[in-house]
Amino acid sequence: MPSPSFSLNIGLMEARLRKFLGTDTLLSYWLLLPTLVFIGVFFLMPLFNAIMLAFRADNGAFTLDYFKKMVADVRFIETLKYTFLLAVTIVPLQLITALAMALLVNTGFRGSRFFLYLFALPLGISDLAAGLIWLSIFTQHGFLNSILYSLGIIERPIYFISYQNIGLTFLAVVVAEHWRATAIVLVILVAGLQMISKDYLEAAEVLGARGWRKVWYVVLPMLKPSLQSALIIRTIFALQTFAVVLALAGDIIPVLSGEAYFWHFLYRNSHIASAYAVFLMVISIGMTWFYLRFLRSRMEVIRG
Amino acid sequence: MSYPRLLRRTLLYMGVTAFALWVLIPIFFIGISSFTPRNEIYAWPKPIIPSHFSLDTMEFFLGSYGVLNSLLNSVWVALLTLSFTLAVGAPAGYAVARFFFRGREAFRLGILITRMFPTALLAVPLAVTFIRWGLYDTLVGVALIHTAMALPFAVIITTGIFMGVPKDLEEAAMTLGCSRFGAFARVALPLALPGLAAAAMFTFVISWNEVFAATILTVNNRTLPAHILTTIQASPLYFRFAGGFFMILPALFFMFLIRRYLFHMWGGATAER
Amino acid sequence: MRKYGIWAVALFLSAFVGFAAQEITWMSTQFVPIAEAQFVRNELLKPFAEETGIDVKFIGAEYAEFVSRVEAEYEAGKGEIAVLCGLHGDFVSVVDALADLSGVAVGGTISDTLMKLGRMGGKQAYIPLMQATYLMVVNKKALEYLPEGADIWALTYDDLLQWAKNIYEATGMQKLGIPAGPKSLLHRFIHGYLYPSFTGYQVLAFDSGAAVKMWEYMKELWQYVNPAAPTWDAMDTPLLSEEVWIAWDHTARVKQAIVERPDDFIAIPSPAGPAGRGFITVLAGLAIPTTSPDFDAAAKLIEYLTTPEAQVKILQGVGFFPVVAEAAGAVPTGALQILAKGVTAQAGSPDAIVSFIPGGISDEYKKIYKDTFFKFVIRGEPVDVRFLRSQATRLRELYLEADAPYPAPDGG
Repeated sequence: MPSPSFSLNIGLMEARLRKFLGTDTLLSYWLLLPTLVFIGVFFLMPLFNAIMLAFRADNGAFTLDYFKKMVADVRFIETLKYTFLLAVTIVPLQLITALAMALLVNTGFRGSRFFLYLFALPLGISDLAAGLIWLSIFTQHGFLNSILYSLGIIERPIYFISYQNIGLTFLAVVVAEHWRATAIVLVILVAGLQMISKDYLEAAEVLGARGWRKVWYVVLPMLKPSLQSALIIRTIFALQTFAVVLALAGDIIPVLSGEAYFWHFLYRNSHIASAYAVFLMVISIGMTWFYLRFLRSRMEVIRG
Repeated sequence: MSYPRLLRRTLLYMGVTAFALWVLIPIFFIGISSFTPRNEIYAWPKPIIPSHFSLDTMEFFLGSYGVLNSLLNSVWVALLTLSFTLAVGAPAGYAVARFFFRGREAFRLGILITRMFPTALLAVPLAVTFIRWGLYDTLVGVALIHTAMALPFAVIITTGIFMGVPKDLEEAAMTLGCSRFGAFARVALPLALPGLAAAAMFTFVISWNEVFAATILTVNNRTLPAHILTTIQASPLYFRFAGGFFMILPALFFMFLIRRYLFHMWGGATAER
Repeated sequence: MRKYGIWAVALFLSAFVGFAAQEITWMSTQFVPIAEAQFVRNELLKPFAEETGIDVKFIGAEYAEFVSRVEAEYEAGKGEIAVLCGLHGDFVSVVDALADLSGVAVGGTISDTLMKLGRMGGKQAYIPLMQATYLMVVNKKALEYLPEGADIWALTYDDLLQWAKNIYEATGMQKLGIPAGPKSLLHRFIHGYLYPSFTGYQVLAFDSGAAVKMWEYMKELWQYVNPAAPTWDAMDTPLLSEEVWIAWDHTARVKQAIVERPDDFIAIPSPAGPAGRGFITVLAGLAIPTTSPDFDAAAKLIEYLTTPEAQVKILQGVGFFPVVAEAAGAVPTGALQILAKGVTAQAGSPDAIVSFIPGGISDEYKKIYKDTFFKFVIRGEPVDVRFLRSQATRLRELYLEADAPYPAPDGG
């Protein structure tokens, strides 16, 4: 939609401010400045150095050795596989669950506020604590086995976490991560839902779209920006998180961020650690680009 | 009530209850575990409800050195982070949402990219810088790092929020005599409040739970996670439960406090004016 | 006026407080678990403060944080940490940042062998504080499955295999436990226990025929190890929850189990292989960073902690064994007695082969041993001599790069 021109009632202060801030473009740059400065100082500087570590040997020479070493690692393929698998499995699951939760709560039934607060509880739980909780559930003599055993369903504890049964272990990790992080997506979606003007919804109902059709044709499209934010944010986090994976699956399921961490702090080779980190970054960029591309065309229609 | 409506209602309540149970049961487990007497923690099969509740572990934990201090530190750091992040990030989000300036897409992408690098690896260079600047072992220092970590997401979220506020309303306000800032303050801001509250909560939680940078950057003024989580890693199981549970409580409390702001505009985006 | 009076008094008194109490910060990778930290504060530091007026603030830190912090303060040229406690390996990573402790007074007699271990980078980088080792802990329930003729105080690896097999055949559960998580001490088991026991060396025989036999053995043994082992960093919890009945780990990482239930467990020496009974002695020490804000106070703390009294307290508090000759005669009680029995038996075994932890080389060596383990034992691939050879080459390279000697028993 073209932006209409408008006349302004300009006071003296406003005029001075306007002169100072300049045009729209200039104003934008001013608004961006604090963020840029912040990120520049606290992030870009150490980030640049850290990235350089991946490409530069101690003597200063440019080299791809570290990347070669990373790729040659005995478990590299596995690590890559699991990192991807985890992100690709968890994120859609979380989106769907969070969407369901958000839509349910949004109907505004009696007590919905209370339920919303409940659903958001996992937000307050650090990933280390979450790992601990789910470990106590899935471990051999943990809660799940205890319940199954007490009910007589099993005679011996099941090895949910076992290198001999990576599938089950993976499932355990997915469940734990899903439980922990869905609230993040939920909060974003609920905020997005709340901002959909009631007028639109009422208009839609008047025009005959009710229940599911209203959700599918009116609510969801308007929720796209929030969905997109949630998707991107959640994916980036999912690719980086390893506290829960570490707590539940230890060395059974290696992931890229875990390897980066271990190379830096256990094996003390920051170059290779950086190589992993840079690689992870490239993957994140790739996936984000993919999402933005995929969802962009839909978005243009809505915006405005 | 008509039959289909009744059915829908029932399904609705069943759905939310199912979700609620899903969320609560694990929390229940860790709560129970924190109050289970030490000898029962390792029992097999593990009792769902222990034979008696024991305050031993929690007492030991609470009496433990420095816990209250670090709790206060964490709250302070999280609040600081919240303020910095919104103060710096919200304007940026507004700019990206409203104006089409050159470099817009680059900025958006750039913001995202910074966050794609595992932060653990940045902590040491940052610590060195901090020491040189006198920010080492200060709460403000930790808050600054947390702000840098939360900023990209805050910007993304606020962008989405402000994009969701129809431009027409601001423009209408301006034709009616408001200045640009006035239109922003009186029209856009109130409408964006739920979203901003979400961003605030998000930021608070990131800061609250952040362990690694906080651990490296503080010696005597530790935050709660730094204080607890590093020590309980090496401790027996019941301490880890108590520690984990103890970590959750203040966060839950804070969320309870701000719930009203999250639901502030509940009932509709356009206020009845 | 009264209001001002109170402030004046407060100000006056605070001046005294300021002068009387010195305060230093002590960062340590040891004593990190809550109970141990409390012990340090109450049993060691409080008496120290009463004696000397120096308040020591104790901060526990994991290896990662410890090294990062010391490096950061060293690079910046100033810091808050006055004194450090860590393992030999912790100090190796930051040796440049440590001050020379050659003249520092010690509270008792520390043997030359141990003191020599603390010399790095051409100076006395740390003063030994306490030592520990790794051994096996057994739940008494497992004893009935012990193979005929096996002596618990002198097990062989073959005995161990048979024992675990017996348990599996009787109960259907894999009750043997070796920690194999990412932060576990698995690599110690491999390079300090398995390799010397089977090949007589840590590095020199990495790809020898004896090594191949060793890996074949491990593959077989692993069948009877609890499959959750790759998630375990410490064995105390699995022992207590009875997910395992026989465990191998560091004394500090099994101590909690014995403390909780001293009647259920016994500690025994690690098994012996064809070449002997290989085991590691671990050394922790005290160091002062060059950026320490108070060298003298730190030195006083070091002297205090190496007195026989403090050494016995440490043994009682955390189960690390003394380095000071005068303290060795003291008798610990309860769980410590159980552990001490195992440690002494291990140390005194006639076929002992003592290993030291490799020092001065890149920590990548840990990964070399772990990767080999992963490939042959966990993944179950057939033992491939070529792979062993390439790993051995890489390992030797690490020693060459750092110009470091091979650790005992290989030489040096």
